[in-house]
Amino acid sequence: MSSYHNAFQKRTTSIIKGFLPGLTYVENSSWVHRLHPLVKLVMLLSFSLTVFGVPTWVGGLILFAIMLVFYGLAGLGLAFFYRKLRFIMVFGLFILIIQVLVIQEGRLLWQADMGPLNLSIWSEGLFGGLSMMLRFVNIIGSSYLFVATTDPNRLTYSLMQAGLPYRFGFMLITALRFIPVFHYELEQVKNAQMAKGIEMEGLSPGKLIKAVKYLLVPLVITALSKVDSLAISMESRGFGLYPQRSYMYSQSLSITDKIALVIVPFGFILFYLAMSNKVA
Amino acid sequence: MVCGLKGVISILAEPVVDIQKLSFTYSGSAALALQDIDLQIYPGEFVTITGPSGCGKSTLALCLAGFIPYAYPGRMEGSVSIQGRNTRDYPAGGLSGIVGLVQQDPEAQLCTLTVRDEIAFGPENLCVPAEEIQERINYALQAVGALELMDRPVHTLSGGEKQRVAIASVLAMNPLLLILDEPTANLDPFCTAEVLETLKQLRKQNISIIVIEHRLERLVSITDRLLIMQNGKIVGESTSVESHRKYLPIKNKTGLQAGKTPKLVKKDQGKPLLSVKNLRAGYEGRDILAGISSAAYAGETIAIMGNNGSGKTTLLLVLLGILKAHQGSIEFQGQDISRLKVARRARDMGLAFQNPNHQIFENTVAKEAQLASLNLSQNSEQEIASRVDHYLKFFDLWPYKQNNPFTLSLGEKKRLTLVSILAYRPGILLLDEPLVGQDSDRLDLLMAAIQEHRDRGGITLMVCHEPDVVAANCDRVLFLDKGKLVIDRPVNEALALLAQMGMEEYLPSSHTFHSVSKEGNLI
Repeated sequence: MSSYHNAFQKRTTSIIKGFLPGLTYVENSSWVHRLHPLVKLVMLLSFSLTVFGVPTWVGGLILFAIMLVFYGLAGLGLAFFYRKLRFIMVFGLFILIIQVLVIQEGRLLWQADMGPLNLSIWSEGLFGGLSMMLRFVNIIGSSYLFVATTDPNRLTYSLMQAGLPYRFGFMLITALRFIPVFHYELEQVKNAQMAKGIEMEGLSPGKLIKAVKYLLVPLVITALSKVDSLAISMESRGFGLYPQRSYMYSQSLSITDKIALVIVPFGFILFYLAMSNKVA
Repeated sequence: MVCGLKGVISILAEPVVDIQKLSFTYSGSAALALQDIDLQIYPGEFVTITGPSGCGKSTLALCLAGFIPYAYPGRMEGSVSIQGRNTRDYPAGGLSGIVGLVQQDPEAQLCTLTVRDEIAFGPENLCVPAEEIQERINYALQAVGALELMDRPVHTLSGGEKQRVAIASVLAMNPLLLILDEPTANLDPFCTAEVLETLKQLRKQNISIIVIEHRLERLVSITDRLLIMQNGKIVGESTSVESHRKYLPIKNKTGLQAGKTPKLVKKDQGKPLLSVKNLRAGYEGRDILAGISSAAYAGETIAIMGNNGSGKTTLLLVLLGILKAHQGSIEFQGQDISRLKVARRARDMGLAFQNPNHQIFENTVAKEAQLASLNLSQNSEQEIASRVDHYLKFFDLWPYKQNNPFTLSLGEKKRLTLVSILAYRPGILLLDEPLVGQDSDRLDLLMAAIQEHRDRGGITLMVCHEPDVVAANCDRVLFLDKGKLVIDRPVNEALALLAQMGMEEYLPSSHTFHSVSKEGNLI
């Protein structure tokens, strides 16, 4: 059963791969990986806010460069960036082209007269487009880096130790634990209903709704019984008995971490101010 | 005087569990789930509680673990004290650290992502300091013999490993009493042996253990006290291994007697009804079935055995076409059916899954039982209804006809899925662990139904982990190992081969097959 199970897990990841290739934690021991999850979270938030705040494409480019440096430090490199963020880059370029074609304001930079087709590039279109594209790439790229270098389990444990009520934290952890379980269960339900002669192959839209119904009812019932067992199992081990709990691994912040928590947002604010002044 | 005597006894051994006149009724139910239970359990005792499904065993476990009265609505009378603490005075889970509970489903009782976190979970909830938690993890994993699992992610564990981790996660809270509610019900023989070995080891720890179990055979030798429950009452008690044995189910009541040569079909006479050649199938390009060839003849009952992951369930799925084979052929009545749709193949093959919850959809038992027939058979609705009624009566499900199938017990649900299949009379029954959750009387019903199917010339392929049942009821054994068919022999020869291979988990408890292997020139 375990081999069967693993195969399903692989399939789950391959579905996600279609949208965002390999958006999962990549195990490594680089400097970025070892950063305290909270520090990394603050860095991501400051970075993202700055990305939205900074009005110029030059600023966007600098932020993009900073991000690439972190990709390098994380041991992921340009090859990883290209492989995983190809589609994002293509989409960014698409945004740029649309902007260039549509917005015709500011200075005229370049013009080509080809009979009926009059191509022209204007400063507002080009720089506005560049800035939009960089924002898009920076936001997705930095989130990607965060996910790839942060163990979700450790992140949750850190948040709980930093004050997130542990009930919320364990909601996330049990969700992560049960995603593959429920995926496997859904596959079982589908098999069971097929064996009863309910067609799941080559469906018309009308039949599809019926099929979904046939899948959902047993899935919900199975899920409820699992949740029941889980609740008993957690409560019988004292979950929720006290307002506080202890933690085996202390995820406390070192002095450097604490300094980073102050300096990083401060640095980004300075950067933002510098960039804004430049415009003014 | 009387007071003095009592005092002496209580100094000698203060009971860990003291139940006085306990009765419980679930709200919405008229029947008493537990009735006038009086029970004392002493430190270090290993107690096994057994009884037919629905006898109140699991309810008793919930009372002991302190989940009744507060987590389950109902009316409770009498009292349950654990080490002098009355469970009424504590909220659900308030006795954690004193009582530990391990449940059936190994998947649903682990809540974190790694083994280490899982075992730390309980002590953390009790605010145990970090250094002590690490010690407790080492102790708990050592006690279940699973130190090497410490750094494993939970989702990569096998069922048996998950169950051992679940036991360790409870042990880490240093309970005085450990309750295991059918800890091996969802496990194959290999994992069951693993968990039972763990239980044996646990006797060395100074805690009281209560195991609730259908399958007594392998527990008898380690049980100090055996309690038999029926209709919510304790009706029998035995305190020595010799007298425990009296309560073992009587073997070979139905079907073929073990030892008697089963009705063998000569292979060179007649064509097989179902045959597969070089069948390969799997997931993500990895073969789980690595070239299976075999054939089944009309009237054969065949057991499929093997460890988890050996491809037993996969074989059933491929036969029905739910999983497509990427190589090989499947022939039924001389015709290649490997290209037919599942819905078409299902008319000739009825598959009952391991977990019946996956199949249940309708809101009454009767409708649920009819659904497959309505989809798959050519019969009129009346005919279907009358057949379903017949089988519902046969399998003791008639009283629940208008109930919601969700309210049935696991064993009842499994019988319901059997009814839904038998009602449209497919030529081949594919049964994935049909015995789980069935007591010995219901087992007899199941075997009688298979016998009837056999008399009509039907084939039964049954994934089955009960060697005694296989020996008594099957003609042939297919033994799978890592996707390969390593044994395909008549039942006695197959069991002899398994004995030679040292696969003791797969041998009937009452048999020695070595003599057979000497006489028959095998291999």
